[in-house]
Amino acid sequence: MAKLEIINLYAKVEDKEILKGVTLTISGGETHAIMGPNGTGKSTLASVVMGHPNYTVTKGQILLDGEDVLEMSVDERARAGLFLGMQNPAEVPGVTNSDFIKTAMNTRLPEDKKIKLFKFIREYDKAVTDLKMNEDLPHRYLNEGFSGGEKKRNEILQMKMLKPKVAILDEIDSGLDVDALKIVGENVTSMKSDDLGLLLITHYQRLLEYINPTHVHVMMKGTIVKSGGLDIIKRIDTDGYDWIKEELGIEDERVVPEEEERIVLGTCATKEALNL
Amino acid sequence: MLHYVKSPISNETIPDKVAALLEQGIKQYIILKDGHIVGTDLNLTEGLYIDSFDNALNDQADVITKIELMNQNKSDAYNYVMEEANSGLVINVKRNLNIEDQLHVFVIQDEHDLVHNTVINLEANAHLKVTEYFCNINPASINLVNHYLVEENAELNYTSVNFFDPKAVISIIREGFVNRYGNLKMNHAEVSDSITEVYTNVALQEPHAVSTVKTVALTSDGQNARFEQNVQHLAKETEGYIENYGVSSDESCLVFEGVGKIHKGMKQSIARQKNKGIILSPKARLDANPLLLIDEYDVIASHGAAIGQIDEQQLYYLMSRGLSKPEAERLIIGGFLSPILTALDNDAIKDAFLESVERKTKAY
Repeated sequence: MAKLEIINLYAKVEDKEILKGVTLTISGGETHAIMGPNGTGKSTLASVVMGHPNYTVTKGQILLDGEDVLEMSVDERARAGLFLGMQNPAEVPGVTNSDFIKTAMNTRLPEDKKIKLFKFIREYDKAVTDLKMNEDLPHRYLNEGFSGGEKKRNEILQMKMLKPKVAILDEIDSGLDVDALKIVGENVTSMKSDDLGLLLITHYQRLLEYINPTHVHVMMKGTIVKSGGLDIIKRIDTDGYDWIKEELGIEDERVVPEEEERIVLGTCATKEALNL
Repeated sequence: MLHYVKSPISNETIPDKVAALLEQGIKQYIILKDGHIVGTDLNLTEGLYIDSFDNALNDQADVITKIELMNQNKSDAYNYVMEEANSGLVINVKRNLNIEDQLHVFVIQDEHDLVHNTVINLEANAHLKVTEYFCNINPASINLVNHYLVEENAELNYTSVNFFDPKAVISIIREGFVNRYGNLKMNHAEVSDSITEVYTNVALQEPHAVSTVKTVALTSDGQNARFEQNVQHLAKETEGYIENYGVSSDESCLVFEGVGKIHKGMKQSIARQKNKGIILSPKARLDANPLLLIDEYDVIASHGAAIGQIDEQQLYYLMSRGLSKPEAERLIIGGFLSPILTALDNDAIKDAFLESVERKTKAY
């Protein structure tokens, strides 16, 4: 049975400490939900577990079935059974969805046992139908020109094909309309088994109506401040997060107070730029 | 003025790498080695003419004259080729003829410096798809001048794949002429290791002429390669597109110079340029200078260049699904080059191209 242990994890990005002592254990068959307002470190936790190059772990441990995840590169973590459904998956022009996922599946298999093409197509087509996606998906380029909802469904499709031990779904509900949310929810629920540990990161309780969590956590200031069961979700749904802040005496729940950034667009060969 | 002398050759065998391609079932081909035809498999429909230059001088003199007339006052390099040509091919497609099957031309250098001239003429409403494959066997200086005349409403889809080794020095001049409603598509896939200079000039000489010049080039080691594309809008409502895709690695230097020139009065013309580049090592260099020279107000034009390293986010995304770094990079570069892969119709040639791509980018 799969087991992901995050022990007292500290991580930073560009000298800003974002995670401040996160401890969490996810076992196969469990579904954990992490909730919390914006900017409290939820997505950072997901990225750090997967090994995003922008983040540096300064303290703590991550273990998957007892093996040190922090020692592994991103691809090794994936092959060991971790999966991250991303909030903003990258677009890769020129690489088709089916080529990509076939390559990804083959990396998990020994050289002489590569997946048979027909078996792959059958499996892929079924996943496409399950997620009610367009039939041309296998031939389209990876996420290129996809709508927000299509990208999210494509993440779930990849998860279905790759069959991870522990899957983290980072705000998989954002950008989804009600129908798509239902499809995604049902598909994730159908994958639940004792061999899969799930971690859902979300702002809204809505997704959790379709995927019932077994554990609920609230994150603030870069750490988990409250854990419990479904009753927390109900309370957040009616009262928001203020009661937790009051209970714990937190004034600003964010890790790094947001700074206003001004963006200036460049000019190219306009009359003004050329001084005409 | 054209002066043509064929050099003698002692060995007419087809080199292994070309023979290996043919074995994989390439049909409709002609092989020229130092100007001599050493192999053909042609199913010539009535109205499709293909022959070496020396034969064509007699029976297709009008085609050669037609091309020559358009080439007044050319550069020294151009004149050199015309005076020193020792290899050449003439393809002519008669009016209203649509050639479905892709034509494959292999041009091989062996014993002599190669001065080669390919002439393709499409008469009105004719359609043709040609792939030209170039390689050398011995160290040589190689000069190519290609001419394409696409007449009214005709469409030529031309793809050139170059596999020259580091001991060759390459200079290529391409001249395209497009008449009313004609469409000239020129694809260039460059995986040579040689010093290379390619100059492409397209004259959109009648209204509604369209041309797309697409180049994919990979440079490696200490290689230098320069590509200049010049699309001249000489008539109203013409469309010219230039697309360049480059990957430069090691200490190589790759330069794209695109020029879209819309002359005065050529209203409603469209000139667009797109450049994309990946630099794989700190000492590699890649320049793109997309120029628009526009002497008319009522036009549509755009130009852009995006050059950088392999996208970190793409790499992370692919790796997060279990692909190793080299696998992910190979997939990204393959995807990046897809605009030319779709133009390479033949799987054997496509594989040969991808093999070279892998060789030229393997260190990363």
